[in-house]
Amino acid sequence: MMATATRPVVFVVDDDEDVRDSLRALLESAHWPVEDFAAAADFLAHDGLEEGGCLVTDIRMPGMDGLALQATLAARGIGLPVIVVTGHGDVPLAVQAMKAGAVDFLEKPFDDEQILTAVVRAVDRHRQDQGRQAAISAARARLDLLTPRERQVLDLLVQGRPNKVIAFELDISPRTVEIHRAHLMEKMDARSLSDLVRVAIAAGD
Amino acid sequence: MASAETTADSLFEALIATAVDGVVVIDAHGVVEVYNPACERLFGYDAAEVVGQNVSILMPAPYRDAHDDYIAAYRHTGVARIIGIGREVVGRRKDGSTFPMYLSVGEGRVGGRRIFVGIIHDITNRRDAERRLQDLQAELLHVSRLTAMGQMSSGLAHELNQPLTAIMNYVKAARRTAEGVEDPRVARALELIDKAAAQTARAGQIIRRLRDFVEKGETHRRLEDINTTVADAVALGVVGGGDVERRFDYATGLPQVMIDRIQIQQVVLNLVRNAIEAMAASPRRQLRIATAPTADGGVAVTVADTGPGLPPEIVDRLFQPFVTTKENGMGIGLSLCRTIIDAHGGELDAVAAQDGGTVFHFNLPAPAR
Repeated sequence: MMATATRPVVFVVDDDEDVRDSLRALLESAHWPVEDFAAAADFLAHDGLEEGGCLVTDIRMPGMDGLALQATLAARGIGLPVIVVTGHGDVPLAVQAMKAGAVDFLEKPFDDEQILTAVVRAVDRHRQDQGRQAAISAARARLDLLTPRERQVLDLLVQGRPNKVIAFELDISPRTVEIHRAHLMEKMDARSLSDLVRVAIAAGD
Repeated sequence: MASAETTADSLFEALIATAVDGVVVIDAHGVVEVYNPACERLFGYDAAEVVGQNVSILMPAPYRDAHDDYIAAYRHTGVARIIGIGREVVGRRKDGSTFPMYLSVGEGRVGGRRIFVGIIHDITNRRDAERRLQDLQAELLHVSRLTAMGQMSSGLAHELNQPLTAIMNYVKAARRTAEGVEDPRVARALELIDKAAAQTARAGQIIRRLRDFVEKGETHRRLEDINTTVADAVALGVVGGGDVERRFDYATGLPQVMIDRIQIQQVVLNLVRNAIEAMAASPRRQLRIATAPTADGGVAVTVADTGPGLPPEIVDRLFQPFVTTKENGMGIGLSLCRTIIDAHGGELDAVAAQDGGTVFHFNLPAPAR
C-alpha cells in the first residue's frame, strides 16, 4: 500500500452533512486524504482540483446537481474521474451520468469494498490518463525542436519510406537524409526507428 | 282597441316563435294549448301532434302517469311542487329518448280560466360537463390516494436511506480502524461491528424492496391531446377556487404526446390547486395556463400564479418529499408531480415570475418513433 503522503486527494460532494462525514471517515480509514464539500459550487471554487485523484458526488443536490457538476468539469477541461452515488430510484439519472462519462455509480447504501474499489480504479485511471497526457506533451515539445526539413524526413519515416526514397522525394542526397535522421533521433530522444515512430504517433494524438 | 289587441297578439306570437327555450302552455287538466318551435326542436314532435294532447306525452314514465295526479293535487290543496319554483326534470323525445331539462312553471288566468306556462331549458350539455367532471374527480381522487401512498413510501425510503448510508459508512470505517489490533476485547468489538453492518445491510434491502414494489405500479400510456388533458384538469382544479381571473393560452397544432392522462392531469390539478391556494391573500389573483410546442417536438405546459412567490428557504428543496409551506401539508404533492413528469421523460421546474408570482413549467417529450 502506498504511503498516505503520496496519495492524491479524494473529493467528496454531498449536501447531506452526515453522509459526507461518514464517507470521509470510511475513506480515511482506507488511508485516503479527503476534502469534502456541501455544494458543487464550493467544490468548483476550490483550488487544486487538478491535483485530486477522483471525485465522489451525490446526484440529487440543491443548487447545482451532480450531472451539472460533471458537465461543468468537462467544460473546464478538468479530467477528474467522477464516481456518482445515488439514492434509490435515481437509476435513470445515474445512467445519464455514466453516459456523460462518470467512471462508476453506486447506489446508497453501498458496501465499503464497493466504494473503495471504485476509488482505487478511478485514481489509477486518472494517473494513467495523466501519464499519457504527460507523454503526449513531452513528445509534442520535442517535435517543436525539429527544423522544417527534419519534420519532412520524420513524416516520411513514419510512413515507412526507406532513406533512398526519402532522398528522392525531397530531392536531397541519401547522405543528407542520414544526417537529418541522426539529428531528429537525438532531438526526439529515440534510440531506434520503432522508438521514433512511437513518439511521433504519441505526439500526433 | 282592436288594433292594440292585434299588436299584443302578434307580439306574443313573435315572442313564442323566437324564444330559444321551449314554451308550453297547458290548461288546468294538462291539455297543451301552446307548443312553440323551440319545443319542436327539443322534443321532435310537431306542434300539430302535441296541441290538444295531454302534456304527459312529453314526459317519461313514471312522471308521465303521475302528472294528472300532480295537477289534481295542486288544484285541491294549492301546495305547489314545481309552480313558481322550477327544477331539473327529465323530458321525453318523440323517439323515446330522454334528456335533462330545467323546467320553470308559472300559473296564470286567461279569461277566468287557469293556465300553466312551462319554460323548458335543455341542460344536456351542462349535465354532460358536470358528469365528466365528477367522473374525472373520482378517478383522480382514487389514483392520487394510491400514488400518494406510493410516493410517501418512496419518499420515506429515500429519507431513511441517507442515515442508513451514514451508519454503514461509519460502521465500516470503525471496523477498518480497529482491524489488526491484537486484543480479545477488540476482536469481540469487531464481531459486534460486523453484526451491526449486517443489520444495516438488511435494512437497506427492505428499503430497496419497498422502493421496487412502489415503482412497479402500472401506468397506462397512450397518445393524447395535451390541450384537452390540461383543460379538463384545470376545470377540476378551479372548482371552489373562488374569484380567480383565468387566462388560457392553448397553442394550436400541438403534437400528441404519449402520456398516462390521469397522471398528467394529477400534476396539472396539483399545480392549479397550489396556484389558487398561493393567491388566497393576494390583491391580484390571476391564474395563467399555457401550452406550447418545444424545440424537440414535444409540448410544454405552464401554470403561473400572481401569488407572493416561493419563500427562498424552500426554493432549493421544493420538489423533495416532506417539504411543505402548508400548515396541513405532507409535502407530497410537488415531489409526486416531479416523479410523474420524470417518469414521462420530461422535466418539471419552478421559477419566480417577474411580477412576483410563481411559474411552474413542465415539458413532455415527443413520442418515440
